[in-house]
Amino acid sequence: MVDIEKIEKRTVQSFYDDGLFEIALGFFLLLLGGYFFAQASAPKGSPMNSVLSVLFVLVIVSAGFLVNRILRFLKRRITYPRTGYVTFKKKEPNPKRRAAAMITGGLIGASMGALYGLSPSIRTLMPALNGILFAVAILLAANKVGVFRFYILAGASAVIGFGITAAGIGDIKGVSLYYGLFGAAIILSGLAALIVDLRRSPRPAADASEGPDAH
Amino acid sequence: MPTDVSALTEIDRLIHEPARLALTAILSVVESADFLYLQRETGLTKGNLSSHLAKLEEAGYVTIEKTYRGRIPLTLIRLTDAGLAAYKAYRARFKKFLEKT
Repeated sequence: MVDIEKIEKRTVQSFYDDGLFEIALGFFLLLLGGYFFAQASAPKGSPMNSVLSVLFVLVIVSAGFLVNRILRFLKRRITYPRTGYVTFKKKEPNPKRRAAAMITGGLIGASMGALYGLSPSIRTLMPALNGILFAVAILLAANKVGVFRFYILAGASAVIGFGITAAGIGDIKGVSLYYGLFGAAIILSGLAALIVDLRRSPRPAADASEGPDAH
Repeated sequence: MPTDVSALTEIDRLIHEPARLALTAILSVVESADFLYLQRETGLTKGNLSSHLAKLEEAGYVTIEKTYRGRIPLTLIRLTDAGLAAYKAYRARFKKFLEKT
């Protein structure tokens, strides 16, 4: 008997087979790490520090845009010629889910902000908190799409976050180190997946992507 | 039980065939997919895939568009609204049947 749910899940999973999503996400996190490192290096109250604080949203949005473009480009050049072209459905906007996400994000942001305003000893928990947040997000994604290596990445995120906090590296420097290390870990995971996928799915003959003439 | 059997007899036989069921299941979660992608994911031969797609196209469940990506010919397949509705109805009916048995 055909397992419909398994086929649907497998189709969604196929998007992650090549590891390019992880490589792109890893570069996004490295960019974030670079941003936090620059912020940690700039003296407090300096014009540079103020400019960086103001530019935070712009950095996130432009890095996200850039990484998305790079991901599409790499998919077109590396993956689709080997595995076939596929376009996934864009999720229909769900106002309730969007509102819930915004409230959750706001609560997390407010909690982080409140924590950040408290004593320096509590601030050192920032890398661990980032590690936990990413671990939860990746666990949710792993459960949804069923990619096993995402569970390992979730564990790595928590370990890196707690490790940096335990080492007492500091708040912003610690956060920048967390993004740097976790970004590198995701890139390595993506590269390993890409190598496996390239070996498993060689590029077919030139006419293979063409359907039969009957159509 | 008669009610269980009636749920099964009303099932869409065009979609019920395993290869076509796999194809519609894949196409239900994507916007469009090309011939190579469907061939790889289903493991069907070119001839088989072509034949099943032709049947789905005849029923108005899929559209098949011949296009080019650069110089490479590309056959893009999409599930139509009627195809998606038929697949959803099949899925719901079959699930109901399995729950009853």
